[in-house]
Amino acid sequence: MTTTPPGTDTSGHTVAPEPALEVTGLDVHYGRGRRRHHALRGVSLSVAPGETVGVIGETGSGKSTLARAALGLVRASAGSVTVGGEDVTAYGNRRWRALRRRGVVQYVFQDPLRSLDPDLTIEDSLIEPLLIQGTGRKEAAPLARSFLDRVRLSEDLLGRLPGELSGGQRQRVAVARALITEPRLVILDEPVSALDSANRVQVLEILKELGAAGVALVLISHDLGSVAGTADRIAVLHRGELVETGAARDVINEPRHAYTRLLVGSAPTLRTAPASRAEREALRALLDA
Amino acid sequence: MTLLSQHTAPEQTRTVATAGPSAPPVLAVRDVRISDRVTEREIVRGVSFELTPGKAVGIVGESGSGKTLTCRAALGILPPHFEVTGGSVEIDGTDIATLTPPQWAALRGSTISAVFQDPASYLNPSIRVGAQIAEVVRVKKGLKRREARHRAVELLRAVRLSDPELVYGQYTYELSGGMLQRVLIAAAIAADPRALIADEATTALDVTVQAEILDLLAELRERSGLALVVVSHDLAVVAHLCDEVLVMRQGEVVEHGPTRAVLYDPQHEYTRLLIAEHDQYGLEKFLTPKEAS
Amino acid sequence: MVRRVLSLTSGRIAVVILAVIALLAILGPWLAPQDPLATSDNTLAAASGAHWLGTDYLGRDVFSRLLDGSRVSVLGSLEVALTALAVGVVPGILSVYLGRVFEWLTLRLADTLVALPFLLFAVAVIALLGNGLTQAMLVTGALVSPLFYRVSRAATLAVARSPYVEAALISGASTGWVVRRHVWVKVLPPIAVALAQTIGVGFVIVSSLTFLGIGVQPPAPTWGGLLASDLGYLSHQPWAPVPPALLIMVTVWASNLLADAIRDVSGEAGRTLADNRTVRANRLGKGRPVPAGGAR
Repeated sequence: MTTTPPGTDTSGHTVAPEPALEVTGLDVHYGRGRRRHHALRGVSLSVAPGETVGVIGETGSGKSTLARAALGLVRASAGSVTVGGEDVTAYGNRRWRALRRRGVVQYVFQDPLRSLDPDLTIEDSLIEPLLIQGTGRKEAAPLARSFLDRVRLSEDLLGRLPGELSGGQRQRVAVARALITEPRLVILDEPVSALDSANRVQVLEILKELGAAGVALVLISHDLGSVAGTADRIAVLHRGELVETGAARDVINEPRHAYTRLLVGSAPTLRTAPASRAEREALRALLDA
Repeated sequence: MTLLSQHTAPEQTRTVATAGPSAPPVLAVRDVRISDRVTEREIVRGVSFELTPGKAVGIVGESGSGKTLTCRAALGILPPHFEVTGGSVEIDGTDIATLTPPQWAALRGSTISAVFQDPASYLNPSIRVGAQIAEVVRVKKGLKRREARHRAVELLRAVRLSDPELVYGQYTYELSGGMLQRVLIAAAIAADPRALIADEATTALDVTVQAEILDLLAELRERSGLALVVVSHDLAVVAHLCDEVLVMRQGEVVEHGPTRAVLYDPQHEYTRLLIAEHDQYGLEKFLTPKEAS
Repeated sequence: MVRRVLSLTSGRIAVVILAVIALLAILGPWLAPQDPLATSDNTLAAASGAHWLGTDYLGRDVFSRLLDGSRVSVLGSLEVALTALAVGVVPGILSVYLGRVFEWLTLRLADTLVALPFLLFAVAVIALLGNGLTQAMLVTGALVSPLFYRVSRAATLAVARSPYVEAALISGASTGWVVRRHVWVKVLPPIAVALAQTIGVGFVIVSSLTFLGIGVQPPAPTWGGLLASDLGYLSHQPWAPVPPALLIMVTVWASNLLADAIRDVSGEAGRTLADNRTVRANRLGKGRPVPAGGAR
């Protein structure tokens, strides 16, 4: 399934900017021989600068593998990955490290408890990507302050340890840390799943601002609400395959694929009950057929 | 669902959901206040609700608003330095302050039961998960080993674990968070409790699995009059499942009433904020116009 | 870390005792009032103004020998601990990063060292390299090193797959950076505990080796050697073994006390326990309100 994001044209005639991330026919598998297991099958997805693409799907659908492939943490067995116009498919460890060091791509983990080193102060954690780049501590310090401000946290937190912060605060620190190298692409794996609604909204609002500022975001989540509220486009992964991609409104309002219908139908909303068990069974049968 | 029709011991005739509002409450929380003994701060300032058989009460609010503490107080399992400093909790007409440990043991599981977040910490890592459920059934329902095992597998199937026989023989570390959560739900309903407290019980689950669990809970309510306390940050789950909603903020109940009234015609500013956030960062963002048309 | 250890009473006591022992080791030979090797006719004398702790079977001043021997004894146990540290920790950390072959080799090597009978091995090596304190201590250190290898490897493994290390890698960090920045701090507390324990063990080993005459040539005094010779004359001077035995005991006890203190202040519980004081002090200083936590 190929998708044409707004602003780009597969024919290549437009002067549209390079996609921040372009994945074409991506296959990833784990294990060998009989235990070989396909995590992703022929996935193609393109994310334009400033665009927020939500990737939804359930446990085991390959969401995280997609993220890890885009970061070079998993190798593709077929297909190609292009980051900011740079074909990284065949990159070895060294070239990946050099690319990552430029801070073009960043990643935010699901678990804010464990994604910050418990022994480093918030400031040290924040500026780590800069220090890795070779920036001096002195130049990095003011940046730490301004990015903390950008995620609406007080400077007082700089000297604290992660253990003294709430889950929501920690996740915002993790977001600030990912932003400090001014990346053009940020991949977020379930960034709000561990947060309560107030913190969730705060983080999602920060993400919206980022999108507006021209940063491309890939928002991976099993929570349809968060994705619907933030993403411009939604890609639906089912058993390693991309079954549907489209504008967020269309995917939620008029899901075409049976799996998307099942997902959207399963979620209760304030005004509508989820699809009945019979309806869901029918959709499942359709999927297994 | 076979689970509910079978293995309901005949001597257990229950007041079913059809029992009117006059049925005595399974759980009555009356003006409960909870304080932190160390800081001497009152964390929960007067929460009241009544849970008659078949009824479902939802509690929503930000983290730290006292939702979880209230639930824990109702189960008599407050964390170390917290204590109930006012009001009362009655389970089945008995004030829990008068309960002895053996009485508590008899109540928990069979009369009142609970599912919390963080499932791994409620299961023993060195015992197969199925055996832990079977144990509940054996102790609480007096079933023989083999029947207990059979029933445990059925429960695992009821919470939509795809290979219940396999899961029965697995240890906690072999299961994902979502699977553990479902195991915990199975254990919580294993002894056919009359009231179940579900504190963010479906938050970590995939949406399709959540739908199955919500259905299961609704079915238990209808068939055997299970009463529910649902704590969730997802207003939609509460709206879908509950008759009554409490909105809590900083230890106080700012709004309390029938679900429809509270969620569709919120009076308190904070409730309005919660709903606005949900509308903006939820499926409603897109669904609302369509529903209206 | 140091400050946290010193905030505990047990930590302070341990540090003070060890400091005194260290002073003894440095200044001992100069403090000795008489020549520790000079014999006299006044053998097996009781304590007196001239000989504070009496004399031994050759008429040598016991107090002087004790002071003079402290340097060798302390140095020996330090050598054991530091050798074990050097030989154990580096491969322990690297075993996580240098690939499977290195991991397998070091693991098997560690197993082998553990399985070797200690005294036999020590005697064999000394027969090969000649008798000397340094040889004996290097052997001992190598034999204790699997402890350090395992401790550092376990601590590294626990950190290596954590999301914050992955986050650093995603920002382009090298293995060296990860080890310096994230792993080292986590490995340090368990190693400090192992080190303090090894110093205690080292003392016992040095003492027992010199007791057997391995490592130090007979006329040179050590605490263990003193104890050995004193025991031979137990019927004449029943109190004589007490001073060297007491010194050995106190040093070992202080090392273990320090190890316990280090363990208490590292790790999750200890960290909050010790940090609460500083955190509270900070908050009071800046007048920041204490956030209400732990309602969950």
